[in-house]
Amino acid sequence: MNLDALWESRRLFELGFLFTLRLTVITVVTSTVLGLLVALVRISRVPVLSQLMRVYLEVFRGSPLLIQILFVYFGAAFLSTSGGLSVLTAVTIALTLYQGAYISEVFRAGFESVPPGQREAARALGMSRFAIMVDVITPQTFTVVLAPLFGQYISLVKSTALASVIGYADLVRQAQGIIDRIGSPFLVYSVVALLYFVISFPMSLGARYFETRTSRRGPVTA
Amino acid sequence: MIIDVKQVRKSFAGTEVLRGVDLAVDKGEAVVVIGASGSGKSTLLRTINNLESIDGGKIWVDGVPVHEPHSAHLVHRHVGMVFQQFNLFPHLTALKNVTLALRRVKKLRTPEAEELGMAALQRVGLGEKAKSYPSQLSGGQQQRIAIGRAIAMEPAVMLFDEATSALDPELVGEVTRVMRQLAEEGMTMLVVTHEMGFARETADRVVFVDGGVVVEDAPPEQIFTHPQHARTQRFLQRTLAG
Amino acid sequence: MTYLDYLPNFFSGLAVTAAVSGLAFALALALGVLAAVARQWGSVVPRAIATTYIEVIRNTPVLVQIFLVYFGLPAFGLRLPAFAAGVLALAVNGGAYLAEIIRAGFRAVPRGQVEAARTLDLGRRQTLLDVVLPQALRLVYPPVVNELVQMILATSLLSTIALNELTGETLIANAITFQTMQVFTAALVLYLVLTGLVSWGARWLGRVAFHPPLDVRGIRRQAPLRRFSFGRTS
Repeated sequence: MNLDALWESRRLFELGFLFTLRLTVITVVTSTVLGLLVALVRISRVPVLSQLMRVYLEVFRGSPLLIQILFVYFGAAFLSTSGGLSVLTAVTIALTLYQGAYISEVFRAGFESVPPGQREAARALGMSRFAIMVDVITPQTFTVVLAPLFGQYISLVKSTALASVIGYADLVRQAQGIIDRIGSPFLVYSVVALLYFVISFPMSLGARYFETRTSRRGPVTA
Repeated sequence: MIIDVKQVRKSFAGTEVLRGVDLAVDKGEAVVVIGASGSGKSTLLRTINNLESIDGGKIWVDGVPVHEPHSAHLVHRHVGMVFQQFNLFPHLTALKNVTLALRRVKKLRTPEAEELGMAALQRVGLGEKAKSYPSQLSGGQQQRIAIGRAIAMEPAVMLFDEATSALDPELVGEVTRVMRQLAEEGMTMLVVTHEMGFARETADRVVFVDGGVVVEDAPPEQIFTHPQHARTQRFLQRTLAG
Repeated sequence: MTYLDYLPNFFSGLAVTAAVSGLAFALALALGVLAAVARQWGSVVPRAIATTYIEVIRNTPVLVQIFLVYFGLPAFGLRLPAFAAGVLALAVNGGAYLAEIIRAGFRAVPRGQVEAARTLDLGRRQTLLDVVLPQALRLVYPPVVNELVQMILATSLLSTIALNELTGETLIANAITFQTMQVFTAALVLYLVLTGLVSWGARWLGRVAFHPPLDVRGIRRQAPLRRFSFGRTS
């Protein structure tokens, strides 16, 4: 067991962890924004745009993330004259589009779960569409959406591992470098798994907590 | 006495819901239990057929001591129950819903079971819906099938737990008609309900439960026109005024 | 050399994708049922093992799991070829997700059903077989199919361990023909067709094999259901 060499490599693990974190944080923000926008477009039922969104969703949920990443990265290199996108940019774009598709469905389900009577009551009170959205729909959507959203973020954290395939210096990539130097692939990848677990598990507990909070029903009386 | 309930107590999470209930039902009697939400009437019903255990007191149903843990499960042979939420098995047709227990519990063979099953369905007026699935039927029809399912087992007693509370108003009638029919045919029944009309017309006795105890127990003519207790009066005023 | 010359390779890659997915899914189902039963009804030790297995797998990236099997196991004397390693890794991965889907399915059968069965004097075994199981099966069908779709998509990661499934062949075709856009579009289309066929087939099966017919609008590519919730639980 090459534990000393492992300890020596801790800087590289740290680096990989930070790179993974950076990618995660960026894509959480971008995919949530995209997901929200797409969901809004879909529920507003604007004629051409909604159909387009539907196609976007089918494509990005029906094909592998890896193909999407490779498509963006190699495709950009192929199309551009200046060498294409950086690894980080390409991965961010692909991950945003991929995760954004799933997140938009979470938001859409959330919006549609608010009873239509709410909207009607607000209209009857004379509220504008915008005000209804902000004061009536969104607050009620918020609690419903929280748990599955967390689930998507957990999925996102794990998805960032694919960035290593095109050379992004995340945890997995660093691990490969470390293995090249000290061997012990089982040990090194186990450490990597542990590090991902440490990020992901607390989030999954959080998701579960929100889940029980929002799905509790009162007891049947009499 | 088919049902004999003596000083039954039941608590949920520290709150005492039944505080010493006494109730007796004779063979052939139709007894209706009324009371406000939270008064404990549904809980009382559920303790009688061991869906809830009791913390104190004694219950005998058709000779079965329900308060004794190791024999309590036998009560299901003697008691049929109809739920507010129907609880029909959605993956089975109406006929299969009715015959399932006949085949599995009474070990009847399918042709026999189906004969009895069809008879039960006809008794509740739904013979032609035998091959339909619950999702294809209205609430009133579903509940009638639930009644058919319970009576097919030939219980000594039928319990009705707010059988019409989940139904649209226009569907309530078809279910109470079946219930009245059963009462007239001599079925011993204990009915928890909000339907005062049913209580007035069909009950042999009406029992008013409030705060976990039986406050008044009398024939409908008496309890609706001359309630003896102030609490009963208040309840009736509130309910009938609305 | 155009990408069209590579079409046969694409299809052989597709065949490998399908083979890996099918095998892995079958194994994953078996594993999932075992783990679900152990976690839900098992005694202390099986429950602990199942819980650890499920939580570790669900909280680590599948790519890392693949690497652990392919690059890590040789240290213990188990040197698997890419195909076998891929099937094993994906089966172990899928099993954990399926276990949770199955557990959720059982919890989602309304309590009233079991109560009604009790009042009809049905015994525990009869209640399980005749009332709970058929309903649980109907409830888990869409998410289980969705998991199959996710597994098919996950096979693309096996290109990193040099398996010649669809993505692997795509990368080779790209490297040789340099017709990047066409090559990747072709791959994309083939994946969409494959997953589309599986979803459609599952919907058809739902209508045909279930009584009453299972009307499943939910078998489209749902979000990876990392925590499947049915709302009301007992």
